[in-house]
This record gives sequence, C-alpha cells and structure tokens, in this order.
Amino acid sequence: MGKTILEVVNLKKHFLQPRGLFSALRGQERIIPAVDEVNFYLKEHETLGLVGESGSGKTTVGKTILRLTPATSGRILFAGKDITDLSARDFRPLRKEMQMIFQDLDAALNPKMRIRAILKEAISVHQDINGSQVDRKIGELLEQVNLKETKLTNFPHELSGGEKRRVGIARALAVGARFLVADEPTSALDVSIQAQVVNLFKDLQKNLGLSYLFISHDLRIVELVSHKVAVMYLGRIVEMGLANRIAEAPRHPYTHILWSSLVDKESREASGTSSEGKSADWGVFDFERPYRGCRFAPRCPVYHARGRPEICINPSTEPQLKDIGEVHKVACHFPL
Amino acid sequence: MRRYSQVSRHVGAYSDLPFWKKAAPLELVYVAYGLLVVALVVASYILGAANLLPHSPQEMDLQLLMAPPATAGHVLGTDFVGRDILSRLIVGIQAYFLPGLLAIGIALTLGTFLGVVAGYRGGRIEVPITYVANLIDSFPRLVLILLMVAAFKPDIYYIMVVVGLTNVPVVLSLIKGKIQFLKEKNFIEAAIAIGLKSRVIILKHILWYNCRTVLIIQATLGMAEAILVETSLSYLGFGVQEPTPSWGNMVQAGANYLMQGKFWPSTAPALAILITIMGFHLLGDGLNNILEGKRSK
Amino acid sequence: MRGVPILEIEDLRTYFFAKGKQAFIRAVDGVNLRINRGETLGLVGESGSGKSITALSIIGLITAEPGVISGRIGFQTDGIETNLLQDLGDYVHLKGKDGRVMEVHKDCTGWEKQVERLMGDIRGREISVIFQNPRSSLNPFIPIGKQITEAILLNSLIKNHHKAKERALYWLEQVKIDSPRLRFDSYPYGLSGGMCQRAMIAMALASEPSLLIADEPTTGLDATIQSKIVDLLQELKSTFTVTTMLISHDIEVIKRLSDSAAVMYGGTLMEYGPARDILFVDLESKHPYTAALLASIPSEKHIKEKAYLQAIEGDVLDTINTPEGCRFYARCNRVTEGVREKCQYHEPDLREISPGHCVRCWLYFD
Repeated sequence: MGKTILEVVNLKKHFLQPRGLFSALRGQERIIPAVDEVNFYLKEHETLGLVGESGSGKTTVGKTILRLTPATSGRILFAGKDITDLSARDFRPLRKEMQMIFQDLDAALNPKMRIRAILKEAISVHQDINGSQVDRKIGELLEQVNLKETKLTNFPHELSGGEKRRVGIARALAVGARFLVADEPTSALDVSIQAQVVNLFKDLQKNLGLSYLFISHDLRIVELVSHKVAVMYLGRIVEMGLANRIAEAPRHPYTHILWSSLVDKESREASGTSSEGKSADWGVFDFERPYRGCRFAPRCPVYHARGRPEICINPSTEPQLKDIGEVHKVACHFPL
Repeated sequence: MRRYSQVSRHVGAYSDLPFWKKAAPLELVYVAYGLLVVALVVASYILGAANLLPHSPQEMDLQLLMAPPATAGHVLGTDFVGRDILSRLIVGIQAYFLPGLLAIGIALTLGTFLGVVAGYRGGRIEVPITYVANLIDSFPRLVLILLMVAAFKPDIYYIMVVVGLTNVPVVLSLIKGKIQFLKEKNFIEAAIAIGLKSRVIILKHILWYNCRTVLIIQATLGMAEAILVETSLSYLGFGVQEPTPSWGNMVQAGANYLMQGKFWPSTAPALAILITIMGFHLLGDGLNNILEGKRSK
Repeated sequence: MRGVPILEIEDLRTYFFAKGKQAFIRAVDGVNLRINRGETLGLVGESGSGKSITALSIIGLITAEPGVISGRIGFQTDGIETNLLQDLGDYVHLKGKDGRVMEVHKDCTGWEKQVERLMGDIRGREISVIFQNPRSSLNPFIPIGKQITEAILLNSLIKNHHKAKERALYWLEQVKIDSPRLRFDSYPYGLSGGMCQRAMIAMALASEPSLLIADEPTTGLDATIQSKIVDLLQELKSTFTVTTMLISHDIEVIKRLSDSAAVMYGGTLMEYGPARDILFVDLESKHPYTAALLASIPSEKHIKEKAYLQAIEGDVLDTINTPEGCRFYARCNRVTEGVREKCQYHEPDLREISPGHCVRCWLYFD
C-alpha cells in the first residue's frame, strides 16, 4: 500500500503542575504524564482513529504531533523526516503539509476577520500569490468543502456550526495539507450536520488522498471513518488494530466496556453485556492517585474477577503493547 | 392572544445595521462632540503653526482693554493688555499639542511593546515587568513632574516624556490582559499551525484586530491628561512663560482681575480647557462603550 | 391518576427582537404540547429548532432581552391551574411602521415582577429543571450536600435542618452516587461531570416536583457516562413516576426514556405522537424531517460497510427569514410534483394520521 506518512515513537508529553508558591524553585512540581510512551504509525491515504474519554490524552497527542506544544521526549517522523527537534524556522515550511481541525469551533477562527480574509491569509502564508489567483483558489476551496460563496463576507459568529467546521477544513486545505489531525470534528454538531461532515471527510480522502488522525469519543463515527483504531486510556494506548476488529472483538477490557456502553440499546443487547457494572461513575481521572503497574487495574472487571493478581499492579510488569494477531496489539496481561 | 407578524418576512440575509444606528444615542452624541473638539484642536494647531491668526497674539491694543466678546474685530474680546483672546487661545494649543502627542506616543509604543512581551512570553519575564509597572503606577504623577522640573529645565517636552512614562503601566496592563485572554483562544494556535510567524501573529491578529480600539481610546485619554498637566503647570508658573500664551498662564494672569469683577480674561481660557478636556474624555468614553461594550448579535 | 394533563402549551410563540436587523428572531413559532401525569415527553430537535427556548419560556427564564412571549401555558397542580404567561404581554410595547415592527420596548422590571408572581411558588417546587453542563449549574463555592439541603429547605415541607440533611443523603443514594456520605461534602470541582449531573438530578427531585424539565442532560458528558445517566433516569422514572419533559438532540436518549415524542424544526412542531410510532426506524409513516434525521445516524450497516451517511442537505433554518411555505421544504427529499406548489407557498397544519400521532406535511393530506 502507501508509504508511511507519520510515525510516532515513544512520544511523551508531561505537564508540570506547580504545587505551591515556591515549588518551581524547590523542584517539587507534580508531573502529569498526559501522553506516556505512545507509538503508532499512519500510512498515506488512511485514517487512524484515536479513541478515549476526556483526560486520556488524545488531544494532547494531536497537538504534540503538530508541535503546537513541545514533546517531552520521543520522536515524531513525518514522511520519513524527524521533525521533533527542528527549529521553528526550519519547521515552518513543513507546517503546511500537516494541519489541525480544532475542536472548539468558535475559538479557532479570529472573530474579527471575515471568512474571505481568513482563507486568503491561509492561502498566502506559504506561497506568493496575486489577486485573481487568490479568488480562483478560494472558489476551489469553497467547492471542495461545499460552502456557499455568500458566506465569504460574513464573520465567524454569523455562521452555523457546520459551516464553521467547514471553514476550518477549508483553511487546512488552503495551506496545502495532506495530513490532518481532526480533533473531535463532529462533537458539538447536530446529527444531520455530523453526517455531512463525515461524508466530507470521506470525500476529501478519496479525491485528494488525505491522511487523517481522527480523534473522537464518538465510537460509531470513528469506526465508520477509520481504517485502524487506537484506544487510549490515561495517556497510554491500550489497544490498537483494524477498526472492525476492535469494535467486534475487542481484547482489552477497557475497549470492551467502551463499546458496550453505547447508549443505543440494540447494540448493547447484541453485544451481550449485562448491566452489572452499574456501580457508580468512574470518578475524576485522578493523576494524583499514584498508580503502579497497569493504569486501568483499579477499574478493571477482569482484574477484580481474577482476584487482583499481583502482576497487574507491579510497576515492573506494567503491561506493554503486544502483538496478538494480524495488525492487532493489546496492552494487557489477561486479554479477553 | 395577540399575534405578532411582519409584513416583510424576507429581511435579507445578514442585513446588519451599521454600528452608528445600533449604538445608544447618548454615546453617539459624546463621540460626535469629541470628534468636533479634536477637529477644532487640529485645525487650530495648523492655523497657529501657519500663523494665520485674526490678530497677532502679542499685539497690544491699549485702547481696547478687556473688551467683551464680539467687539470690533475681536471675536472673543481682549485681555487686560488688549491682546486678542481668540488668537491667544489658538496659539495656546501649540503649548500642548505636540508635547501631548509625544506623551501618547511614548505611552503607547512602550506600553504596547512591554505588554506584548509580558503577555505573550509570560513566565519569568512577566513578573519583573509587572512589578516595575506597578511601582511606576503608584507614584503621584504631579510630584514626579515637579521633581523633574526642579531637577532639569522646565521644558514641556521633558515633562511630557515623564507623563508618557507614567502612562505606560496602564497601557501595559490593558495590552497584557488582552493578550493573555487571546492566547488561550484556539485561533492563535491555529495561526501558528498554518505557519504564520510569531511577529505576524502578534501584529496582525492580536494588535490590529483586537487591540486597536483599546489603543485609540488610550490615546484620547492620554491627550486629555497631557492638556491637564500642561495647563496645570503653566498655571502654577512652571510651564510656558509670558508673553507666550498658554491656556494655563492665561488663566493665571487673568486671575488678578477677578477681584475687579472682570472675569472674562480668566474665564475664557478656563472654558477652553474645560471644553477641550471634556471633549477628549467623552470621545474616549463614548468609543469605549460603542466599540468595546457588550455586543449584541 | 394517570392521564391528567400536567402541562398544556397552546400556541407558544417566543420572539426575540434583533435591533440590528429590525426583525424578530422567531425562536419558538407556534408550539402546542401536552404532557400527562406520569408521562415522559421527549422533545427532539437540532440546534436552532427552539427546543431549549421552549423550556426556558415555560419556567420564565426569558427576561431581559426585548421580545415577546405569547400563547398560553397551563400548568395544573393540586387541581389548580395557572397560566404561566398570564398578562406578560402587557409589559411589552411595539412600535410598528407599515405593519412591520421597528422597535420593542419592554418594561423589564414589570415583566420580571409578573414572572415572579406567577412562577415564584412553582419554580423549584412544582417544576424542577436540570440543565446541560451540570458543573456550571452548581454553585462552585458550596459543597453539593449543602446545596441539596438548601434546596430541600426552600422547596419542600421539611423545615428541620437535620431532617433536610437526611433527605439530601437519601436522594444522593437514590441517584447512585458512590459513597454518598463522603460526596456530601465534596465541592463540584472535585466531582466528575457524571457525578455533578447526578447531584443536580438529586437536587431537582428532592423537592418532589410535579414536572421535571431536563434540558440536554447527557450532552457534554463522556460516552460511557451518558449511558449511565440514561440508565439512572430510567430507573428513577419507574421508581418515582416523575412526569418529565426531556429535551435532547440525541435521539438514542429520547428513544430510551420517552413515552411520547415531539419533533421540532425551525421553531415549530413537525411531528408529535407516541414515541414508538415516531422514533423507531419505519421510515414510511412519518414526517420527512424525522425520517431524514433517523437515517443520518450511523447504523450498524453503515459502519460495517464504511458507507457514506445519509446527510440532510443544506443548513438549519434561519429563524428570522422563515419561509412562506413548509419550513423543511428547502431540504426535503420526499417532495413530489403533486405537492410541490403547496409545500413551497403554504405551511401545512398538524394533521392526525393515526390515533395521537400528528404530522405537519402535505404528503399526508390526501
């Protein structure tokens, strides 16, 4: 198939949380490992879905890959080139190939700029281009994302959610991206507009050969759009494999719980889960509680069912991603 | 049950009224008044610089001492030595106009620069800058100025430099606040993502689009303050000296005649001061409420 | 005593006046609903359909903006019926020219006082509300236990502080918060979104209201938590028979919890009737909008085949320029030549096509 367009090796991103007034001076800051040793690769013209709940680190992965926030350690390779430590100046020309669709519709567009100005800016960032060519390119972009020309003179707050999303996509295309990190592109949109956006993503991948890192907590949409899926929990990937496989036959207990908790009753009955896990909510993802070993152990039904085996919480035997079948990896000592 | 309907249902997509129809009428009055004052000041400055005055400000007409307004050829009358008041008022603007611009210039450029540095970079740079800014802010301005005057020569330009510097903290904290607020917004991240240089991002996205109203307002308030400082100083005798007219020293000189019941030589410049400072303040206030106030969709 | 209507909405219209455009934004443009005791009504719609504004109009949270609310909202409790919109029109004056409204003057203090008079005893006591974003609905400076206790003291007959606290603990248990005694003293920031929502539900139900209005209770929560909250609401519904008005854009949630459903688009109802007739996937016998909405949800088949979804073309209706004919005409994919002219120029009424099931569509007027 295609070449590998993105490879992420042992990526780590830690946030420092100061604990007191003079903590920085005394070096006593708490480390929050938002992204902890993430490895994956993405092939051209394909989509990798990144799933997880809030706090799992999936948005941080996206931002770190695009170097919107510096990685703490690890390597990021784009089209074979190591971009982790490039200086800002060297990296800037590469930025045009990799863009982000931001989750927050309102904040991603400068509220004081008209749409035409926003697109024009994106077009002229990396290339010198004159008046009529700009108009032509803008026309092309509008057609590609299915946006009406009358919207060009509007400000972002005059646009609907779906239209704002499409402007974000158009801007990424305007720069000339071939790899998009889509951060929750369908959340905060109505169902019928979600369908439009999903279709648009599919079309663009087909027509322009784009590759996506599709970050979302909406499992059904991720499954529909992605070729491969990676499931994240508290900063680590716990399972990764082909989209259909992960949904139909998940091997990691967390993945199983995620898919089986879809609100729609039919799919729940079909997957045969009982609602015995009806105990309370999972509580705040608490990085403060020191965990040792497998991060999911305290909430893992398999761990509890097996009488809390020591191997799960021993820090030296923390489960690593292991191959368990074609293109399928799980980080668990007792995969289902 | 009443039914509310409109004859014309097709209002036209997004036919937003221009902002002057949307704003409260009082604010518009303020702004209009302020703009009028600005226009007069600028016009007077030009007239004064080009020496296109109805009479020479120094020329004394001893026949016509303290004539009331609208006496032969003197629109605003004459002062206690027969000099035309209108011409003196016009020339008096010279005393504060350019120096005022200097003060504004210093306050805005230095304040913006430091505000941007403190806001955008944050962290270790921000703390000392804010500290020093607070320090400067807490000095009583007039005291500093008088110290300045005592230590150096009482040149209005030096004084305006001090005025400008003492205004830096205000501009700094406004800009810093705006930047810190905007930095969190994703459109800055998006701008970085598409590959814009930091410099462009700051100048264009932050300053031009989002801060320019604040800066314009600060400029108007700065000028109002410059006028106040200059007139106060010349009233006290530290600024422009006789016979060169300055509104402040005109008030001072005319004050001696108040006891005699001749209040016009003192009142005319005082009114000019009042009208002008009020104009700048109202302009700043009005613009603030219209442009920076809560916008309704 | 089922079957007694608790809430009856007649021709509700909530318009906001957009000064910049000198026109009314017709957020709710003619809604008729009835909720019987013990029933759960699911109000479905996308953004801009007016469903949230409907809820706000009922509980009198529409105050300061210039605009009008007209119609009648009859709320029945203890045999006494009140019109929640009584005389509100008196506080609004319109200035028109050529039949078109140019200015709206609203006596805000008068309006608010009247709303207080009408709603003062009812709000919180007989009608409780749960909102989206539970964290922002709770006071961040007070522990949740105290907030619930406060609500109980204010809104129910219990006046003894100790008893109120016990009651609060009882309700915290009912909403299945883990370790209720421990969580009683927690602040909202220490709780996850799901737990905050449970606390809100406890607070709303503690006063034992006649009507519960839930505005997007699951939106914004994580996927796993959403289903747990829906489970909880289902349980509470069967244990306590709470009459509920459930508002959501998530059709799955409405399906699981509602007895009857109403579909809103562009400020008015498109379809209304028993939930099983409307929401389950038999696309033929319903309004084209409802059918299209259901079709655009990714189904098992779509997912397996990685097929394109069936989106509804176009954008959500602009509530200022409401069209002359059917509001959904511009995006409808079931228009036939026979009805095209009617659809374009005349808005259909709601017509009953089977007992209790009404549809606003020319295709069903034979």
